[in-house]
Amino acid sequence: MTHSTTRGRLARLGLIGLAAGLALTGCSTVGSTAGGDSTGAADDGTFTVGFATGGQPDADWQQLQGDVAQGLAEQRGWDFVELSNDNSEATATKNADIFIQKGVDVVMMFNGQPSANPVIAKKYEAAGIPVVTFDIAQPGWYFVGVDNAAAGTEGGTSLGELAKEKWDCKVDLVISAEGTAAGQINTWRTGNARDAVKETCPDIPEGDYVSYEADGNLTTSLANAPGVFAAHPDAKNILVVGLNDQAVVGALQAATQLGRDGSIMGWGQDGGLITGDNVDPNLVGSVMYFLEGYPASAFEIADEIEAGNAPAVKDTGDDAAVSVQPCPVTAEEAASIPAIEDRVSQLAEAPKGSTEYDLFCKA
Amino acid sequence: MTTSLITAADPAATPEGPSGRRRPDRRGPAGYRDALSIAAVWLLLIVATTIVRPDFLSSQTLLAVTFTMSISGILAVAQAIIVISGGLLDLSLPVALVFSAWATVTALNNGLPTPVAIVIGLLAGAAWGGLNGVIVVFGKLNPIIVTLATGFGGLAVMLIFFTSAQIPSGSDLRLYGLGRFLGLPNIFWPMVIVIVVAGLALHFTRWGRHVVAVGGNAQAAKARGINLRRMRLATFIGAGAVAGLAGVMFSAVTPSFTAGAGAGFQLIVIGAVILAGISLSGGKGNLLVLLLSVGFLATIPASIAFFGLPPAWALVFQGALLIIAVGIDGYRLKRTAR
Repeated sequence: MTHSTTRGRLARLGLIGLAAGLALTGCSTVGSTAGGDSTGAADDGTFTVGFATGGQPDADWQQLQGDVAQGLAEQRGWDFVELSNDNSEATATKNADIFIQKGVDVVMMFNGQPSANPVIAKKYEAAGIPVVTFDIAQPGWYFVGVDNAAAGTEGGTSLGELAKEKWDCKVDLVISAEGTAAGQINTWRTGNARDAVKETCPDIPEGDYVSYEADGNLTTSLANAPGVFAAHPDAKNILVVGLNDQAVVGALQAATQLGRDGSIMGWGQDGGLITGDNVDPNLVGSVMYFLEGYPASAFEIADEIEAGNAPAVKDTGDDAAVSVQPCPVTAEEAASIPAIEDRVSQLAEAPKGSTEYDLFCKA
Repeated sequence: MTTSLITAADPAATPEGPSGRRRPDRRGPAGYRDALSIAAVWLLLIVATTIVRPDFLSSQTLLAVTFTMSISGILAVAQAIIVISGGLLDLSLPVALVFSAWATVTALNNGLPTPVAIVIGLLAGAAWGGLNGVIVVFGKLNPIIVTLATGFGGLAVMLIFFTSAQIPSGSDLRLYGLGRFLGLPNIFWPMVIVIVVAGLALHFTRWGRHVVAVGGNAQAAKARGINLRRMRLATFIGAGAVAGLAGVMFSAVTPSFTAGAGAGFQLIVIGAVILAGISLSGGKGNLLVLLLSVGFLATIPASIAFFGLPPAWALVFQGALLIIAVGIDGYRLKRTAR
């Protein structure tokens, strides 16, 4: 009896350990590079960049941002310290302490958990270290991010021009695959795209513009879009814009399911689904951001700081320190743009001051 | 004892009166009441939408609703089996779905024949259910906590192996996902078959009666010689296999998906199960009502589109419905206790 109880306890402990292990795997994997690699900067007067990657596991570009930054620092003969924010507020805060301790001269970071940013900002302010933030604004930090407003407008304009060329602007329905939770970014990308279509094809009646919630992912978009097509049974020539490629492709797939894909064109944002072997035939274009190339823009600011000529802080999306130029591409053009790893290597070998937009957009 | 075709029931689950005699089973009429209530609300939604937009009653709407029902319906069956068996809730089902879809797509991308890829997808789901079952049964741990942990850990592990998966565009499974049978999406029919088969199995097979018995009153079931561990493990594996089928269907209609792509199903699946009167306390459930519940929830996005409401209303409706469903479940429990 005692033996079996002990065995039972051991078995239970083992299973609890297994469950805990799985949970911990989850914790540690959401930033498996926690602690990151460090080139070990000694404070010998050499200009030092502290770089914190986002550490979100489903975003290759975040780790590649670190690789790009390291190459740019080496190009300049600067010291480089890289950490991962591990997609965690606690880790991002701890990383700030490490950077301050190492005496870095500038910090560049993407922090997908921005609720910690006010605390982190106080630490850096007290230490007198300037910070460059990617895509998520924080008062007092240089903002580097894609010009979402321009991205929306350029995507919508490109799609409108295609509608003008192919259908003489005889459009029956313009669908916006919204991502309401994204707030202002959704307004810039989706709303501006819609406005740009209106501007290019001004005769489309207001009632032919409809929106639905796609939540920025293909699954939700695919679940909610069929109703939109059903609600407009007579629409033949259809345009789709949205928060990102996933949202737009969800609508295009729904059209296919309902047999409404005979005359439909979608233009996405972020370029996530415009390359590869399985591009939706009705996704006619997207706006690429080259997220992995952001450090090239951040180093423009770092160059001035290093030269003792720190620029004025511009810390909002509306008034960015560096606004990364979006790159609208058709599906055909996207096919000729190198894969993300090749883009990183080519950027590393490019002359100082080059950006991915210069190298790949409309090249 | 209920006479409903797809109402699960078992003598072991029937409460006994103070004298030791079995009280009359009142779940049959309750099951009909649930079915009638949901059918009435669904009908009301259809009528209201049709009054505003007479073109709501169209083949396009039917296609839209049946397509939206398909995957969430299969997944809801998996959840219902867990809940009826007394396993509370399986919060890792969205991960089971994507895991199975990934296994299927990986098999296809490696040149394996479609039937083999489908079997691999089903086995992946069953294995996932087995993992949960082993931890819950042998660890004697709360299923909600366990499946929360395995769901989180499993998602993280999947993220290590893939950022996005794509089904070969010319594969038979993909073509099946794009096709129709009898005017409805191909993927709708497996959902109907799963609901009918699972409903019949719960009612007519020994396994089904034992599932209901264990969920309704575990101690009574044990006293009748039912092996609780084996039953619960089998239930998790069976529900996992059903989730695996949902994963296979998901891969057929989703050209590209990420590890987190299943998250959107969590709310609608739990909402459908609770709304169908499948009590979280276990031992009660009618899969015919579940079909109505899934159909009602799948009609909401279409109705919102016909009403022309702003997109955020879809989120408001989903959240509100879940609260209402949980409230109804609580009311039913109190009424049963009285």
